[in-house]
Amino acid sequence: MVQLRPRASRAPVSASAMVDEGQPASEEEAEHGLLLGQPSSGAAAEPLEEDEEGDDELDDEAPEELTFASAQAEAKEEERRVRETVRRDKTLLKEKRKRREELFIEQKKRKLLPDTILEKLTTASQTSVKKSPAKLKEVNLQKKNEECEKGSDSKKAKEKVQKVQTVGQNKSYLAVRLKDQDLRDSRQEAAKAFIQNCLYGPGTNRTTVNKFLSLDSKRLPVKKAAAQFLNNAWGSQKKQNAKRFRRRWMVRKMKTSKK
Amino acid sequence: MGEFKVHRVRFFNYVPSGIRCVAYNNQSNRLAVSRTDGTVEIYNLSANYFQEKFFPGHESRATEALCWANGQRLFSAGLNGEIIEYDLQALNIKYAMDAFGGPIWSMAASPNGSQLLVGCEDGSVKLFQITPDKIQFERNFDRQKSRILSLSWHPAGTHIAAGSIDYISVFDVKSGSAIHKMLVDRQYMGVSKRKCIIWGVAFLSDGTVISVDSAGKVQFWDSATGTLVKNHLIANADVQSIAISDQEDSFVVGTAEGTVFHFQLVSVTSNSSEKQWVRTKPFQHHTHDVRAVAHSPIALISGGTDTHLVIRPLMEKVEVKNYDAALRKITFPHRRLVSCAKKKQLLLFQFAHHLELWRLGSTVATGKNGDTLPLSKNADHLLHLKTKGPENIICSCISPCGSWIAYSTASRFFLYRLNYEHDNINLQRVSKMPAFLRSALQILFSEDSTKLFVASNQGSLHVIRLLEGSFKHLHTFQPQSGTVESMCLLAVSPDGNWLAASGTSAGVHVYNVKQLKLHCTVPAYNFPVTALAIAPNTNNLVIAHSDQQVFEYSIPDKQYTQWSRTIQKQGFHHLWLQRDTPITHISFHPKRPVHILLHDAYMFCIIDKSLPLPNDKTLLYNPLPPTNESDIIRRRTAHAFKISKKYKPLLFMDLLDERTLVAVERPLDDIIAQLPPPIKKKKFGT
Repeated sequence: MVQLRPRASRAPVSASAMVDEGQPASEEEAEHGLLLGQPSSGAAAEPLEEDEEGDDELDDEAPEELTFASAQAEAKEEERRVRETVRRDKTLLKEKRKRREELFIEQKKRKLLPDTILEKLTTASQTSVKKSPAKLKEVNLQKKNEECEKGSDSKKAKEKVQKVQTVGQNKSYLAVRLKDQDLRDSRQEAAKAFIQNCLYGPGTNRTTVNKFLSLDSKRLPVKKAAAQFLNNAWGSQKKQNAKRFRRRWMVRKMKTSKK
Repeated sequence: MGEFKVHRVRFFNYVPSGIRCVAYNNQSNRLAVSRTDGTVEIYNLSANYFQEKFFPGHESRATEALCWANGQRLFSAGLNGEIIEYDLQALNIKYAMDAFGGPIWSMAASPNGSQLLVGCEDGSVKLFQITPDKIQFERNFDRQKSRILSLSWHPAGTHIAAGSIDYISVFDVKSGSAIHKMLVDRQYMGVSKRKCIIWGVAFLSDGTVISVDSAGKVQFWDSATGTLVKNHLIANADVQSIAISDQEDSFVVGTAEGTVFHFQLVSVTSNSSEKQWVRTKPFQHHTHDVRAVAHSPIALISGGTDTHLVIRPLMEKVEVKNYDAALRKITFPHRRLVSCAKKKQLLLFQFAHHLELWRLGSTVATGKNGDTLPLSKNADHLLHLKTKGPENIICSCISPCGSWIAYSTASRFFLYRLNYEHDNINLQRVSKMPAFLRSALQILFSEDSTKLFVASNQGSLHVIRLLEGSFKHLHTFQPQSGTVESMCLLAVSPDGNWLAASGTSAGVHVYNVKQLKLHCTVPAYNFPVTALAIAPNTNNLVIAHSDQQVFEYSIPDKQYTQWSRTIQKQGFHHLWLQRDTPITHISFHPKRPVHILLHDAYMFCIIDKSLPLPNDKTLLYNPLPPTNESDIIRRRTAHAFKISKKYKPLLFMDLLDERTLVAVERPLDDIIAQLPPPIKKKKFGT
């Protein structure tokens, strides 16, 4: 919130918007809202922006005289209008959400395997649990299988993500709940990022391989060439542009040749 | 020794992956090494530092901790949150068990070997009971705020020290509660650095805890009071690893600058009982981060991002100053990564996740001995075959005719048929592999490419007949009852009648392929076999062992040959026995039956059996005789071992035809150029 103050002075109008908004979810979000002069509810966006422009114009001209009553009426009218737009937007949003919800449910139904196959799967996994444990990752698998069962028994339709890769009685498939896998992967990624940052992040005083290799050759009586001549990072933007251009050009060529 | 045209191949772009952990087992004198790609290798230190076993890596299995427990059982844990136990007999993973604490950073086995401790990302320390065939979760210790990066047991097993970020906790094992929290200073040379990461801790029996951290400090703490006793600032960069000797009189630390420091407990003054930890020796054998160190009774072992495994024997611990006291640096795997189709002049290179097929270049120029000939046709990169799935390739092979490629991962076996049409190449996968062909430790094609021999990890050997685009399972040689040892090396005779297979310790078995039965077993030798080959015509089996002994065994006669007996009686040259890389490949000259061609990483040798053997007084590494020297003098200095050290590091060498050799080299500079960046160091005068 400390950061907000100077920006608020730059765009004075949005101060009221900030109050409406209440506590912004995060600093970034608040900043975003302020820069656009647009509170996250999105309701009072347009009138505020207009006001801003109006202010700019007024700066050039002499101030217009207004009676207190008319100004009050105007303000009230403005307030009413804003309230109405908020209400309208809310209802619209609600409608939209409802429609999306319906769509999701329908999609889920379409995606879900037929009941017979699901039943077959659950029985198969139960028998595999009863069997003596085999070698590899069996514990893991069992746990996941059980989780799958629970999920499918209690709330088949509501199950968030459940994917079965292959179906069959033999061991050629592996039932995995993708939700767990995602969580695990993200934790692993975070751990990898941590170690990478510790060892090679900023402040670790790393040199480049080229400089390292050149240290030896600098002290040798016979000077050698650098190990890597090219810096691949150079002109990456230009290279990308050229690539895109070439692709477009080829597409254009193909089209013309077809004609 | 004849003259050869040599294809000097330097386009095998192989980069070994960096070493992450090492664990030394005192009981069996073996060293387990895990690499950043998840590969785990076992080195036998008593068998001339030979890499006798390996477990292929897996993309999602980044190993962060490795330890031996309960004698000979090996466990690893990694960032996927699983604890894995390896089956050292069958060479596969026994089981993987989720610890349910997020990524695992550290692991330690209790001093009596019955319990296993893991430190997780979520700050929990979990205790597992080691049962005879599994591990069982026992309980959690008090949860800490941040990840546990290092763990160490008190030798009595009553307390543990856990290194985290900015602090070290000491736990009481019985109650599972933290009794001390020792804050580590973040300050680094007066400048407040980033968070201080405790990369390693070691608990001594007198209650001292030694910690190494990312600020470059080695600190001694009193665990009873939780106070700092002593501080050594040893590096400008992270100190990443620590290992302590069993006697607790010396320890070793490794830094990110590539330096390894040896600390010793020495008396303050001569003949006083008061002792003090003193930094005694620095070693600079690495160029990059030293991620792992180990302390064997006689040597310091270190490994790191620069992919070298360095074994530095301690001079004061070595009684006899022989070649065992020399520094060992192991960079390349002790197995073959290259296979060759001689007739089509193709080379197949094996990488962790793909295979590359190259056609050798050719020249029309001729020149004198020692000339470099210009290429008229460059080498061709024909094929880049990526594996499916996250598993690393265990082994691969191309058939001598060049029309079959087979490779295997830990769970699947793949066979491809190649068709050549002028410059085009057509790859076709042979589908429907039988269920028993799931993973192979070694694959070999017969000389006429009609048979495929597969050594599976259950110890059985499968013989498969290859037809045009399909195959037929002929026979399976079952292992002898009672043994579960898997075969790692195969050799087939050029006439296709004999198949020799060797495991890691028991002798070499010779099978008759025509009659499909076991023919004989070569008596077991103390040292593991590193290479095998069967000579054409005579059917002599040549076996190289890790102590550089070479035996020749006649398969039809079922006995050692006369030449082999002679050389055993006289003994090999002492310089030959001191070579430190194992012989990885043996081949024969088709026209000269008295020659045996073999190579290790630093030399190529032709043994001429018709010439007299060298004794210890003669020069072993003779330079090539100048051409103008008279024949008589040459004859006088000649002995059976013709050694060339021109090509190194040599990963593969074979005879293409009578006058052509192919040598695959991998210069170390090319490897360094592809490693992660090292720490910046100021060198005077640069």
